[in-house]
Amino acid sequence: MSFIQKFAERVDTAAISATAIPQITQEQNFGVDEAYAIQAASIDRRVQRGDPIVGIKMGFTSRAKMVQMGVSDLIWGRLTRSMIVEDGGFTEMSRYIHPRAEPEIAFLLRKPLSGVVTPLQALDAVGGVACAIELIDSRYENFKFSLADVVADNASSSGFVVGTWREPGTDLNNIGMIMNVDGRPVGYGSSAAILGDPVRALVSASRVAGEAGLSLEPGMVVMAGAATAAIALEAGQHVRLEASGLGFCEFRIR
Amino acid sequence: MDIHQESGIRDAAAAIVSAFDKRVPTDPVKSLIEPLGLGAAYKVQREVVAHLSRNGARLTGRKIGLTARSVQSQLGVDQPDYGALLDTMEYADMDEIPWNTLIQPKIEAEVAFVLERDLDQEGLSMVDVIGAVAYALPAIEVVDSRIRDWKISIFDTIADNASSAAYVLGGEPRKIDKLDLRLCGMRIDNAGEPVSTGCGAACLGNPLTALTWLARQMVRLEQPLKAGQIVLSGALGPMVSVARGEVYEAQVAGLGSVRAVFGR
Repeated sequence: MSFIQKFAERVDTAAISATAIPQITQEQNFGVDEAYAIQAASIDRRVQRGDPIVGIKMGFTSRAKMVQMGVSDLIWGRLTRSMIVEDGGFTEMSRYIHPRAEPEIAFLLRKPLSGVVTPLQALDAVGGVACAIELIDSRYENFKFSLADVVADNASSSGFVVGTWREPGTDLNNIGMIMNVDGRPVGYGSSAAILGDPVRALVSASRVAGEAGLSLEPGMVVMAGAATAAIALEAGQHVRLEASGLGFCEFRIR
Repeated sequence: MDIHQESGIRDAAAAIVSAFDKRVPTDPVKSLIEPLGLGAAYKVQREVVAHLSRNGARLTGRKIGLTARSVQSQLGVDQPDYGALLDTMEYADMDEIPWNTLIQPKIEAEVAFVLERDLDQEGLSMVDVIGAVAYALPAIEVVDSRIRDWKISIFDTIADNASSAAYVLGGEPRKIDKLDLRLCGMRIDNAGEPVSTGCGAACLGNPLTALTWLARQMVRLEQPLKAGQIVLSGALGPMVSVARGEVYEAQVAGLGSVRAVFGR
């Protein structure tokens, strides 16, 4: 078995059993290209189990996030159907190791999107825009990882909640956002933190998907990246994101 | 007040005034005034502002500071503070702010409220306050501590005119009834990079809440806010350090934009 398959199985097992593992780059050093191969192989295991890809997520798209994680590159990961948490629904703490929540902007595609595109072409492929919360949960002990580690681990993605889809507006670059836990605000932000404009994250998503030979299909979701630093979650909490012009989305963790 | 207390206030004011005049920061003044309470810190502020106004500078309004709960807890306080705005501190959009007037500047994006009525009665309601606002402008406040390395306590920042240095007003007055001051996005960009992001609610939940706090406070202190005065709400996101020669643009959704240009 190649080290790609070995580590793919390891991060997959860690994810489904919600068990933290040591950083895999501590065992064997590898680069970012191999890391994406591990990610693809680990997600392929899920697909084989009947859990199809429903979109992609962009990560490290904000300065706050880069500082928090000590990296300087944008990364991406795959969203699968089992990661969907219903808006207004709940998710089980037992599914996660040390989950955190991030406020995001999500795009719903109405046309295929792949390769290098202009912002206008990217927006033309958008059927809806919504506020969204991503649940991230590094499979590594203490949420500590190198760039290659986190890429192999599907960019820490473990769940996502999407609010009501709205008609795509033209101006998404300064949407005020408030994250609330149990009704109290814990973070304030603007969609400006997402690469200066979430549409740029969509353009990047198209490019990286194209490079990976992945076509983003109509009906798929693109999570553009976080607008504030992630918030650590505890069982029993109610998490709600409000975003100007995009309403709100929320979930409980129990 | 005994002579010892007066000397504490006088010494603190002298240290800050000297830092202003020489553009060299001073040690914290906390130890000189802490035993006398926050009221003494505001007495120092009044002396400092009197010095800054000595050549005829006019009071144009007030700034509100410490409007982020996170900053309040860092400084161990549970309410905002305030300082004086003078006409000598005001710059227009794109005006160059001379670098040699500053020590260790940072900026914040805020909402500037301009009043059209005095807010001088007891028992002010937020409704009175809303009714007194003529319009709002986007604003950048340049903050700058006269205390070395920004090692400030609540006493130091109040004494140091709430760490205010200058303010830049945008040129698009807006009526507040069309604005969502709570959920409006805020971004500050420098050279194509968002360097601070936030939203209206970062300022005490709503900039109007901060304005109401100040209006009540100033009635209590018998220095009520007056028609024509400007009130800077407090920051809508984290403050950021600025560099010589750089240009920073702040945008507040619904309010427009304003630029601070720092001299080389």
